[in-house]
Amino acid sequence: MEYPWWYVPHLTSPMLIAAIAVVHVLVSHYAVGGGLFLAVETRFAYQSNDTAYLDYLRRHARFFILLTVVWGAITGVGIWWTIGLASPTATEVLIRTFVFGWATEYVFFVLEILAAFAFYYYWGRLSEKVHVTIGWIYAAAAWISLVLITGITAFMLNPGGWPDHRSFWVGFLNPQFVPQTIARTGGALLLSSLYVYLHASLVIQDRRLYHLLVMRSARPALWGAVLITVGGIGWFVYLPESARAALESAAVLTVLVVIIFALTAVVFVLLYLGPYRNPGWMSPGFALALCLFGVAAFSTGEFVREAVRKPYVIYNVVLGNQIAPEHVQKLRRRGFLEANPWTKAVIAELPAGQGSPLLDGGRIDERALLERTEKDPDALRVVGQALFQYHCNDCHALERGYSAVGPMIRGRDLDMNFALVKHLEKAHFFMPPWAGTEDEALILARYLTEIAPPRPRGMDPIYLEKQ
Amino acid sequence: MEPIDAGTLPELPAPFWFIQLFKVLGFTLHMVPMHLWYAGMLVALWLYGRGPDPGRRFATRLLAQMPVLMAFGINLGIVPLLFLQVAYCRAFYPATILMAWFWLAIVVLLIPAYYGVYYHSAALASDGAAMTRLRRASGWTAAVLFVVIGFLFANGLSLTTRDEAWHALWAAHNVGGAATGTALNLSDATLWPRWLLMFGLALVTTAAWCVLDAVWLSAGSSDDDRRFARDFALKLSLAGAVWSTVAGAWYVFLAWPAEVFREMFSFPAVLLTLVTAASPWFPSALLFAWRQGDLNRSRAAAIAGTHLGVLALNAISRQIVQNIELRSLFQPGVSYQPVATQWDSLVLFLATFLGGVVVIAWILAQLAKVPAKQ
Repeated sequence: MEYPWWYVPHLTSPMLIAAIAVVHVLVSHYAVGGGLFLAVETRFAYQSNDTAYLDYLRRHARFFILLTVVWGAITGVGIWWTIGLASPTATEVLIRTFVFGWATEYVFFVLEILAAFAFYYYWGRLSEKVHVTIGWIYAAAAWISLVLITGITAFMLNPGGWPDHRSFWVGFLNPQFVPQTIARTGGALLLSSLYVYLHASLVIQDRRLYHLLVMRSARPALWGAVLITVGGIGWFVYLPESARAALESAAVLTVLVVIIFALTAVVFVLLYLGPYRNPGWMSPGFALALCLFGVAAFSTGEFVREAVRKPYVIYNVVLGNQIAPEHVQKLRRRGFLEANPWTKAVIAELPAGQGSPLLDGGRIDERALLERTEKDPDALRVVGQALFQYHCNDCHALERGYSAVGPMIRGRDLDMNFALVKHLEKAHFFMPPWAGTEDEALILARYLTEIAPPRPRGMDPIYLEKQ
Repeated sequence: MEPIDAGTLPELPAPFWFIQLFKVLGFTLHMVPMHLWYAGMLVALWLYGRGPDPGRRFATRLLAQMPVLMAFGINLGIVPLLFLQVAYCRAFYPATILMAWFWLAIVVLLIPAYYGVYYHSAALASDGAAMTRLRRASGWTAAVLFVVIGFLFANGLSLTTRDEAWHALWAAHNVGGAATGTALNLSDATLWPRWLLMFGLALVTTAAWCVLDAVWLSAGSSDDDRRFARDFALKLSLAGAVWSTVAGAWYVFLAWPAEVFREMFSFPAVLLTLVTAASPWFPSALLFAWRQGDLNRSRAAAIAGTHLGVLALNAISRQIVQNIELRSLFQPGVSYQPVATQWDSLVLFLATFLGGVVVIAWILAQLAKVPAKQ
């Protein structure tokens, strides 16, 4: 926790990661499945000497490059950029643990780009065999990069034995690795088929060709849905117990999981009844509906995957507020504000007031700070806000915005808030433990009590007492 | 104060020299395509609009190559940033968090710039007939965005090495002690010359590319094209060398911290300083020496190879300067961080790297066999 915290008003900085991640995965999975589609179908079109199909595949390759090489690549960099800004300590652990996994992934990225450009720009100028081989090189490189990044992201949800044996392979081959790789491979197959349907429905006029494409893409899409289901079950089985409990106890997550299952079932049924059984049904509207259902299921799944890690960024390794769990006791003794140069600077910058100096021999004098914040509302606001920003803002906005704390504690008195702050992880098991001294907990509780809106009228407790 | 997390973090996963080697190698390779969109895009747009016929043909080819150059440039740029974060995270993260919105803006601006390049280059295949005002504007907008992105990069990386400036920026841009991410490192004396120095080098890179393109990449180039490439590259290279020298002198004599200046001007580092300072003139010297003769393949390769060496020298010198600048933050120095080499994953990477080079060579060999489009 030596880094400054990045304050993103209303949204919170980690939610930016989620937003960018969702728009990225919707394209990055297509980058994998679409590559496979192009390799398989180009080979088929050459073998069947279907020039109309080859023409379409060439158009699709251009669409594919414009979407994946630009949007996919840059949003991928965007996620990486944002995690460093929003979760620097966790990113540091990830990068130092998996740097060669990432470096290996970039070798495959370069291969992907070269193969993709060669495949598209040299269309019709390479021999059929070489052209298809380059398509397969792309597909293989893209899938391997999916496997590599999945090992790292799955590690964040369940690092397995890594906290005890800090080696690359223990971390990479974590319990979530295989299930998530299966699910993501399925996602790549399904999502790419849905994009292919949508693209083809808008650009292909020839009914024979459209019919052929719809039929040939139905089977990979159905297999994709099956793999997602199998991987999803594995994901659930290998969830840490607390993550499973979070799924059950957080109403919003329960609802989202139901939505995912419902949407996946809808996509599966539509795929079976439409492209697989009745390819003639596939109109642009049908393709659009399929794509939207698939995208909605996928986005919801990504959100749930991120949310169940709470209160950790890397499970059992780094908490959302960038604190290592083994440091909590140390921070409770030493002081939360004292431990981070940026929070300490907040105290050092406080205007001199009455009473004892707040820094004694370079260390924060907690008693003096407590007294000062009790008497000086401005000091309470500054110190309370600093404690909130660095301890809580990774998941909560303050008064308005994402999961804002103010509305959650409206009407509570100081004692209740003090007890809540001191025993955060006991009040809700998916909350991080309080990582400061008792005096700091009291300052934060006072501050939160100050900023919380009053209890809504019409539910006056005095009225209840009168009954 | 010792940060409380210091003991928790994993050690460096490879020896420091190894991390530096790949950081410098990656940056050198990244500079080639990055320079071509940074300064080359502006040069090409100008040539396309106002240049002579051979210049217009070169500009058309460069602008058509731009989407591919961008793709490789972005991916090669990730390599130095990855290794930068491994070894210098304690400097890099605070600096970028302080200017978070501007740092994130690099990614946001890159998307319209990239699509602008595609949109503009799509009109080039029709010999300019499809070059509408909108497409022309998209090209110029992309070029301006690249310059802005360069400025933001210079901001982030100069702030990374200037930990003494963090506190003041944080004090002016925080809410409850949390950084708002709206700071820019504008008061840093090194910012402007760093940004300008890179532009000067980018002009020289564009000149070297012009030569390489005329002889190696453009199968149908005429004698006129090659003559133009030789003469234009000489002028552009000289302009870039003058620009680099002025910006470099500003950077070294007016902006370098005293400690950096002292170390880089003491033996043996002074040799590197002097060679690096003189190096932007090397391609110009070759072009000047061969200004009358035919621009053949070996001459073009020598000019391009020399310039790659110039870029490598620049990357090495920048790395040494960065290490000196960061010494105060990484007492006693950046290279003293604890190391626990991850041999197994390192070997996996190196094996993949070599395998990747073989596959890339195979693909390029297949492409080289294809008859060129006339």
